[in-house]
Amino acid sequence: MKILASLARGSLIGYTALFFAFIYIPLVLIAVYSFNSNPINMMTWTGFTTDWYAQVLGFKTAISESALYIESTDQLVQAVWNSLMIATSTTTIATVLGTAIAIALYRFDFFGRRFYRVVMFMPMLMPDIVLGIALLIFFVNAGVNLGLTTIIIGQCTFLISYVFIVVSARLAGMDRTLEHASADLGANEWTTFRRVVFPQLLPGIVGGALLAFIISMDDLVITYFIAGVDVTTLPMFIFAMLRRGIKPEINAIAVMMLTFSFVIASLGLYLRSRQK
Amino acid sequence: MRDSIVRLEKAAKAFATPEGHTVTALDAIDLDVSRNEFLTLLGPSGCGKTTLLQAISGFVELDAGRILIDGEDITDRPPYRRPVNTVFQNYALFPHMTVGENTAYALEVAGVAKAERTKRVADALRMVGLQGMEGRKPRQLSGGQQQRVALARAIIARPKLLLLDEPLSALDKNLRQAMQIELKTLQHELGISFIFVTHDQQEALTMSDRVAVLSGGRIQQLDTPRAIYDQPKNSFVATFVGASNLFEGEAIGGQLLTADGLSITHAKVQTTGTATALIRPEQFFIAQPDDAAPSLDVDLEQIVFVGSTFELFGRTAAGRRVIAEIPATRRNLVGEIEQSRRARLAYDPAAVHLIPAEAA
Repeated sequence: MKILASLARGSLIGYTALFFAFIYIPLVLIAVYSFNSNPINMMTWTGFTTDWYAQVLGFKTAISESALYIESTDQLVQAVWNSLMIATSTTTIATVLGTAIAIALYRFDFFGRRFYRVVMFMPMLMPDIVLGIALLIFFVNAGVNLGLTTIIIGQCTFLISYVFIVVSARLAGMDRTLEHASADLGANEWTTFRRVVFPQLLPGIVGGALLAFIISMDDLVITYFIAGVDVTTLPMFIFAMLRRGIKPEINAIAVMMLTFSFVIASLGLYLRSRQK
Repeated sequence: MRDSIVRLEKAAKAFATPEGHTVTALDAIDLDVSRNEFLTLLGPSGCGKTTLLQAISGFVELDAGRILIDGEDITDRPPYRRPVNTVFQNYALFPHMTVGENTAYALEVAGVAKAERTKRVADALRMVGLQGMEGRKPRQLSGGQQQRVALARAIIARPKLLLLDEPLSALDKNLRQAMQIELKTLQHELGISFIFVTHDQQEALTMSDRVAVLSGGRIQQLDTPRAIYDQPKNSFVATFVGASNLFEGEAIGGQLLTADGLSITHAKVQTTGTATALIRPEQFFIAQPDDAAPSLDVDLEQIVFVGSTFELFGRTAAGRRVIAEIPATRRNLVGEIEQSRRARLAYDPAAVHLIPAEAA
């Protein structure tokens, strides 16, 4: 029995190690090879360099022009800038609307409330490509010029759902008697919301906002359909690069995006632990 | 008439159940609570006591009737405009605020200046024995301490009336008993009326000036703890408050004859007709051979030692259950009957309470 138990324990540890290896080794490899100086075959290590980062960031490097395939750092910077602007706008809109809907559905009982809730979940379950095509057809038929505005509107349609779900979960865990206690102690509804409901909801709102921000920064499929010809976001830019072959600069960009996402996620976790 | 702080006039409330039935939570209740009175609402769950409390605090809207506080009709006022504060069953402390902020909440909302707030918070916390704890968060406190913060928070604005919704039910027994005494002391110091809701009859008897026993949305009896215990108006009150032996039968000239052939002697000689006799278990004593007191012969089924007393569970010849409580100081007598498994339980006819039939 003792052997069996230790065997089970050993295989559990082994499984866990394999599981994490499966998830993280590709990411670790990207990070490592982003410092590989071999310009032809990324997977063959020839030496350490930070040239790819320098190249991506627009500094002059020792790499010969023929080995490069970022024609213009300006384009990349413009794509990053577009993505950040879109993510900031959509996050703001989705957070305000998603939170408001979550509170309304939690607080008020009205006809069709449960149907409303299902409708709010729908955009998350819908295939991205269908949503993308639907939005494209809608915008074209409505005569809206494709561009930044359509991307922001289009992304909001599903980002609101994410914020709604995160904030709803927080609301569901809230103690209703706290609102009673506040009213009992003389606070009207607005004061109760400001002093009791909102502070408790804040970690959920922040969490929902960070999630919306990362998803917006990351979205390719839906944005691709509704971006038009003039606006390029970072994921679209990377995708376009990939179509011309996998080159070392991709690794550098990927590592920078990864770091950015990691910082945002850590910030979310930190805020959450501090609020608790 | 005594000076009334709260008056309920024909307060009525019914709820619809999910199955489509209607449950009467408050059945046209009239109630007067005097200034500086400690009133307890006692009853089993679902008797309407919490509904009654919430009607006063404003969280339940009445179907009919009025509520007056200090002569003012507040029936249609929202909870935040009533001069009433509540200590909630689960304390309902704001988890994101410190003890100090929690306690100051009512003053802050009312726009009291910071300096005065700080001083009054310190005073309130001192009253409940938590001086210097302003900076802690509720989750860093024990259950008993949280209870005290809830109390300090509810009394800081000097409400005209404090409502307490089973506030001690989550505490362990020793702490609960200590808090019972403290609450009573605090109420005297503050000079405000308390309405206390509980389903624990011991708690009700210990603390209250008056007890209202509720059942089925009605006040079955409103009286001092002693009167509730000694002279219950009906058999519900008799059985809900304390242990009891009830004998229903026909009263004729100082005797009550039951259908199973017992005869209970009582002091209400002039009472005739159908009635129920109540003998509390502690009224019984073990009869000596030369005792002239009336008695019941029982076969003992069980003798339980509970520390200060022995509880005797017996049956009469006709099979009726009888409970008696014998002080532990009489343990030599208990030793004797333990051998024979039979006992003659005597009682004083003056200690027998008669409940007339219409009330039972």
